[in-house]
This record gives sequence, C-alpha cells and structure tokens, in this order.
Amino acid sequence: MNCDAARLLIGADPHATSPELEAHVRGCAACARFREQMRSLDAHIRRAMQDPPQLVRARRAAPPWRRWALAASVVFATLAVVGVWLLRPNDTLAHEVVQHVQAEPESWFAAQQLSTAEIDKALRGAGVQLDLTSTHILYAQSCFFRGHYVPHLVLQTADGPATVMILRHEQARARANFREAGLSGVIVPAAHGSIAVLTRGPANLDGIAGEVQHDMHWQP
Amino acid sequence: MRNSPPETPVSLIGDRLPGPDPGAPLVQLFESLRPDLLRFAHWLARDRATAEDIVQESLLRAWRSREALKDPSAARAWLLTIVRREHARLYERKRLELVPLDEITEMQAALRPAEADGELFALRHAIMRLPIEYREPLALQVLGGFSTEEISRELALSSTAVLTRLFRARNKLRAIYGLTPAPDAAPEGAA
Repeated sequence: MNCDAARLLIGADPHATSPELEAHVRGCAACARFREQMRSLDAHIRRAMQDPPQLVRARRAAPPWRRWALAASVVFATLAVVGVWLLRPNDTLAHEVVQHVQAEPESWFAAQQLSTAEIDKALRGAGVQLDLTSTHILYAQSCFFRGHYVPHLVLQTADGPATVMILRHEQARARANFREAGLSGVIVPAAHGSIAVLTRGPANLDGIAGEVQHDMHWQP
Repeated sequence: MRNSPPETPVSLIGDRLPGPDPGAPLVQLFESLRPDLLRFAHWLARDRATAEDIVQESLLRAWRSREALKDPSAARAWLLTIVRREHARLYERKRLELVPLDEITEMQAALRPAEADGELFALRHAIMRLPIEYREPLALQVLGGFSTEEISRELALSSTAVLTRLFRARNKLRAIYGLTPAPDAAPEGAA
C-alpha cells in the first residue's frame, strides 16, 4: 500500500483499519500523523453534526428590477384608479345627484326671489354666471359635491320648482334621463362639464336645461 | 404542506390503529428514532421545516411498508434510508431552491454569542457548505453509522467513489483547524 491509497482510506474513514493499512502507518510517519489529525478532526465533525445549525436567510437589498416593478405597479394602480373614476357610469352620478337633493329638502320650498348678490355668491366658486330672464331663482347654494363646490339652484318654472346643479367637473358623454325616489331628472353635456335638472313632477326637463344653458356664461 | 408538531406523524399512526394497539411497540420505536431522523434530514435539506416535512412523510411511508421491516434492530438504518430517499424525491419533485450559504446567516450566532468553541461553529457552517454529493455520504457515515459498502449500495456508487467523496468531504474541513488540505488521493474520475 502506498501513501495515496493509505490517505484515501484514512480520509474516508479515520477509524477504519486493515492489516495493510496498519502495516503502512507503522512504517510511514507522515501517514501516521495524517491519521492522528483526521481522527481528531473526525471527533469534531461527529460533535458538530449532533447539532444542525439553524439557518436563516439574510436580508438582501432588492434587485434593481424590483424597484422598477414596484414603480410600475404604483403607476398602474394610479392609472387604474383614475380610469375607474373617469369612466364611472353616469347612473352613479344621477344617483348621487338625487341623494344630494334629497338631503336638502327645504330647497323645494323656498319661495322668495334671491338677490343678485346671493346668486353670484353661489355661482362664483364654479366659475359660472347666469343671465336668467324667464325664470326666477328661488334657492342658490354652493354645495360640496364629488370633491368640488357646485351651484345648487332651484328655479321657478311654469311646471313648478326645478332643481339645477351645474356640474363643471362631471363629464357627460350623452344626455341621460333618470327617475329615482320620486324625482325625474336629466343630465345633459355642457360646454364645461354637465348640468343636472330635477323636478318632482312632470316637467319639460330638456326645455329647462336648454334655457339654463342659453343663459349661462362659463368663465375660464 | 407544512408539518404538524414533531410528535404528530408517529402519534397519528398510533391514533389510527383500531382496537388493542398491535403496532404500539413499532410506533414507540419510530418515535424514539425521530430525533435521529430529524437531525439527518436537517443536514440533508439544510432547513428545519423541510426536514420536518421529510421526516413526517418518511414515517408515514415506513408505517405503510412496516411489513418489510423484519428485524426491529435494523429499524434505524431502514428509516434513515427512507428519509434519504424521501429527501431525494422531494428534491427532484419540487426542485428545491438552492440557497447559496453566503446569503445565509446563522441564527445560532445571535442566540449563542458566548459559545466558547468558535471552531465548532465554523465547522458546522463548513459542513453545511459542502455540496450534497459530499454531505450526503458524510451524514450517512457519521449520523447513520453506515459502512462504505452500505453507502455505496444506498447511493448506487462504487466503493471507490464513496471513499473519494468521504475523503474530499473531510479534506475540505481540515482548513477549519488550520490543517493544510492533503493532496487529492482519489483515483482519477473516481467521484
């Protein structure tokens, strides 16, 4: 047996023994020392392997592509929210207009004509001026609706009171009639945004909407 | 599937036995060997939770094949081979993520900062770093008490290949104790 063969056997199993190996080790100081070392090492290995280490993964910095992916996700989510907001159906708008009007029931019972100053105050915030000739304004408030202050008016018409809300920030792609909670209404596109007209009984909604549009002046 | 507490697999086997429990001694035997199996699986899988999964599945397999165990004194070696095969199966089936150990920190370092034997700590880490082809025969030999011939049968390798792998495994660990690695005594292409 030569040294290579002896060291292979010793390294593979430091406690292995055979007549050939023992004979070689007796005559080879280097291999004898190697066996001593490997036996000592093996004792440590046996002791070490009785207790496996608990390994935890270290935190690593996120790779650059992850940051881009995160940024893209944020942009995508923002666009999705904006898209949903812009494309929300008009029937939701109509429903919210009805709810708003129902929350101000006293508006239907106003009977006195308002002064020009009171009307201007309600309209100013929306950047609108009205030059009404054939109807009278009985109620004028600047109401917070969908994130903006919008004019909420009640006009005296031949068919009775009609509520008008000037929705500068609500885009209507087409005229839409609705009927809800005893109210009839129409939302019509305007030069800037849209106009909602509601009545409690039969009325010429389109006529009222047309008249308001005719007398309305949008300010930049 | 994450496993139940460590006692569950064998306990469950016992619970399922109908009437007077004819398998109780075997269940107790399996239970007594569970720590050894878990330790062995842990060194193979390098992850405690995965090791527990492997042992649970192995014990269920062993219970289903209990007729094959003729001699209860051979149960330990028999179960270790089942664990090894289950690890290999899981490794192949799930293609377990290979985690470079450089990315791993050792919890024990934080838990036992005052450990006197820093070399032992380093040695454990070094063993974990060994490639599976070296770590597996070493675990079979050190923890399982398998002979070279038994390892060669289990791993379907020649005796020379097993000797070479064991030699190289230990040779890589010599540096921990300031020993110069010995020249590779392995025959060309042996492993």
